[in-house]
Amino acid sequence: MAQDTGGVKDAGKWITDAKATYTVLIDQEHLVSKLYNMVNVPTGVWIDEKGRIVRPNEVAFIDDRFKTFTGLDSAPYLNALRDWVEKGDKSAYVMSEALLEAKLAPADANALLASAEFGLGEQLYKTGHLAEAIPHFKEAQRLNPKSWNYKRQAYKLSSESDYGTTFVKEVEKAGGSKVYYPPPDLPKAGDATDKKP
Amino acid sequence: MKARFLVGILLLLMVATLSAVAKDIRATVIYDDRATDINPAQTPDGTDQLWVTTADLTRATRFEVKPQGVCREELCFPLPKARQADFLRKQSGKEWFNLTAFAELVHQPVARDTATSTWYFGLRSDQRETLASLRAPNFSLPDMAGNPHSLSDFHGKKILLVTWASW
Repeated sequence: MAQDTGGVKDAGKWITDAKATYTVLIDQEHLVSKLYNMVNVPTGVWIDEKGRIVRPNEVAFIDDRFKTFTGLDSAPYLNALRDWVEKGDKSAYVMSEALLEAKLAPADANALLASAEFGLGEQLYKTGHLAEAIPHFKEAQRLNPKSWNYKRQAYKLSSESDYGTTFVKEVEKAGGSKVYYPPPDLPKAGDATDKKP
Repeated sequence: MKARFLVGILLLLMVATLSAVAKDIRATVIYDDRATDINPAQTPDGTDQLWVTTADLTRATRFEVKPQGVCREELCFPLPKARQADFLRKQSGKEWFNLTAFAELVHQPVARDTATSTWYFGLRSDQRETLASLRAPNFSLPDMAGNPHSLSDFHGKKILLVTWASW
């Protein structure tokens, strides 16, 4: 799911180069981020055969190309994924309902308003009103400071200087690149305390 | 004296009523991320309220005003009986609907751009509550060739949903 206001123009090259054998979709309005309250990319969600979420939003690296920046190794996540594919509901990586409910708490009022301000900004940008879009992107960033999507997508549509900052500065403000992505909340190997009853 | 006083009151009331009658404006409504130009729409002075004709309501949102409420297919939101006037009024031979009051009723965030007269309506509560039920919210999006795919197309399979971006 490409979260790209620019659509095929911006995301297309990556899809062609990836020669993907899986389904790749283009999400110009960041609908998936809105529906699932996502704040960054890559974000992964595991959904079982019945359409039920068994692991919600977490960083989902499928290789180590950003490891120097993030300090995150993709192997534990990929191993967890293989375990789930093999064992299904019996996998130790399937979260308990209580934990899922806590993690899937609804967006607060400010985050909700932020999603509307961001959507308005996207619409204005698409109809050639970049100058009018910027204040709404700024308002979305202010209302939901946790969302990196609102920052980085807006920077891409014009320039970081329109926002008086840079991505690097924002990452430093948030505690540095090693905490930019909270690591996946995986139980340790052999630890099944997070299993469903 | 008393009569003049009453006339004065009446005039004041008339002025108050007239100022509450909004003038026609042009507006762009974004609903379900789809833009619709609306002309005329109305915004009573000094308010953030957006009124559209019931015909434009359906054109922009696919919702219709019915006796049982404001409905789209099987989805129906009853209007509070005591507050009908907050949502519906008749003027110049047309029926008008307060889209922002309705947004508040269905817990839908609204953002407005004054310069371009654009109104953005976000996800309603019925679109957001799926997540709390632990069911994966469904959506339909195009692939690179423009063919639509829905999450529900993959029912019966395990799904790894991953977002990414060019930025």
